[in-house]
Amino acid sequence: MNAYLTFALYTVVMMIGLALMFHVQFGLAGMGQFGIAGFWGMGLYGFGVLYLTFGWNYWLAFLGGVVVAGLCGLVIGLAIGNLDSDGVLVVTLAFASIVGLLLQTEKAWTGGVMGIGQIDYPFELGPRTDIVWLGILVIVVALMLFWVIRLHRSPYGRLLIAIGRNEALARNLGKKAFRTKVVMFTVTSAGMGLLGALYGSIIHFLTPMKVGVQVALAVMVGLVLGGSRRAWGAVVGVALTLVLFDIVIELYVPIPNYLEEAIPVFKQMALGLLLMLMLLYRPLGILGRMRRDKIVRSVDHV
Amino acid sequence: MDIIAKALVLGLTEQAPMILAAIGMAVMMRLSGVISIAYAEVMTLGAYIGCWFNNTFGWNFYLCLIPAGLGGVLVSVASYFILFRPALRRGVGSMEIVIMSIGLSIFLRYGLQLVFGYRYMFYDVPPPQYIRILGVGVTTFQMTALGVLVGLALLLMWFIQKTNYGQQMRALASDEKLAQASGINPLAVTTMIWGFTGLAGGLAGAFFGQSSSVGFNLGWGRFLLVILVVLVGGTRNLLKVILAGIATGILLSGISLATTPLYAQVALLTLFIILLALRQGNRLSGEAGKV
Repeated sequence: MNAYLTFALYTVVMMIGLALMFHVQFGLAGMGQFGIAGFWGMGLYGFGVLYLTFGWNYWLAFLGGVVVAGLCGLVIGLAIGNLDSDGVLVVTLAFASIVGLLLQTEKAWTGGVMGIGQIDYPFELGPRTDIVWLGILVIVVALMLFWVIRLHRSPYGRLLIAIGRNEALARNLGKKAFRTKVVMFTVTSAGMGLLGALYGSIIHFLTPMKVGVQVALAVMVGLVLGGSRRAWGAVVGVALTLVLFDIVIELYVPIPNYLEEAIPVFKQMALGLLLMLMLLYRPLGILGRMRRDKIVRSVDHV
Repeated sequence: MDIIAKALVLGLTEQAPMILAAIGMAVMMRLSGVISIAYAEVMTLGAYIGCWFNNTFGWNFYLCLIPAGLGGVLVSVASYFILFRPALRRGVGSMEIVIMSIGLSIFLRYGLQLVFGYRYMFYDVPPPQYIRILGVGVTTFQMTALGVLVGLALLLMWFIQKTNYGQQMRALASDEKLAQASGINPLAVTTMIWGFTGLAGGLAGAFFGQSSSVGFNLGWGRFLLVILVVLVGGTRNLLKVILAGIATGILLSGISLATTPLYAQVALLTLFIILLALRQGNRLSGEAGKV
């Protein structure tokens, strides 16, 4: 497999994982947060700094990266657990900005804008190493998908949905909305960190540029396109957008030289346009309503 | 003492456009009930248009404020008619509208690069003459710009709070049906709200651009502090927004002088997060309070 295609597949699979975690936060619990890049970046850099700067064992540093992202999720979750949607939006956006700034200021740990490296794989299988790591990433994301599907059908998932639909009602019914949201936010943030840590070995060299708004945008567009209320929405949406932009257009569409500089600009514009059009004309995405909503609706009609 | 004087003077002269931007954002949030992230791009557009007129036709900076403000008005009103009005009529949720505005923001941000190019642009302003205020050196241009900014901010505040049109805007935000029964044309007034927002954003962008450089990230880089100032100040009282803006500017300059500008941003953002988290009492009531 060609190196670019392998890298593009890494990105697609990782974005699917991020979209799945965002689906739990936004699609189920109704917490539209903009700190995706921050939690993912904490996992990525948490792992990188512990491994490269502090010289920890690979797997211990890996675990450390996940824990750091989870702890950030816990702190931010505690801060936003009782805020309205405006507050959630701004605090998470502020968190992502703080992460971006700290990656530049803490040069002794992160290497500043120059970045740090080199992170290698924890094993060496020759030319097959990339493919094996891709396989591990696929397994991790498949487990995430399985967990999210199970979550939809579990009492805890139903509680999240109830809080997402009408938090005041859920509280009045005696549900512990704050605690539920904080636990969910911590776990999903750690999940985002896990994907960040896995990505560290793929890119080998970490720079703050990687932890940008484009990560959050791709995840949001993918989830909205596929359907924010459905677990498979994350898979379908991200696969469609990223396979189209990062694989089909990059590899198979002949692009004249004079347009090469403008292609990333066109890509971001197209993602922005897609986000607007989907929310305007099909807010529930390609897959539409949750299965339970369809069943409830059909009973109403009977 | 020296650092306080410096923070005061630099905070007011360098961060004053943030107050103007915050007034526009507060009016948008309070009177239209929409949080548009694309407001960042309205600022960027104002900066670009002003700079383009300044560089192409050699217009004086203050004359360039007219096209900058008009550009902001045009984009803001167009975004309402093309995107937000159809979305509101279709019953799209408030959170989805915010996400939609991110789409618009990204679209405009990169679209502006295609129109104005990838390189940074700079305003051509007269060579600076330095004066000392509280022992701190500032340019006469900075002081004139500050005076114009204060004038504009007071004018916009007066417009919202004292004029008949401002009263109509506030009436529409409080109770749309009652406002309609009183003979207020909701579409005309809502258009005015979005125009007002665009005007404040475009002008703020031009001032931001004049004090640094004009690039595609100009608005986005300042948007977070602007919206935090609005949330901390509270959308219901423009005076509190102005005070929050002044305090933010002074704090940002003070911490920048003591550490570095990046650390100052980190410290301020952390402070805002703590402030918002401590003011948890406004949860849910904030949703109902908006129109």
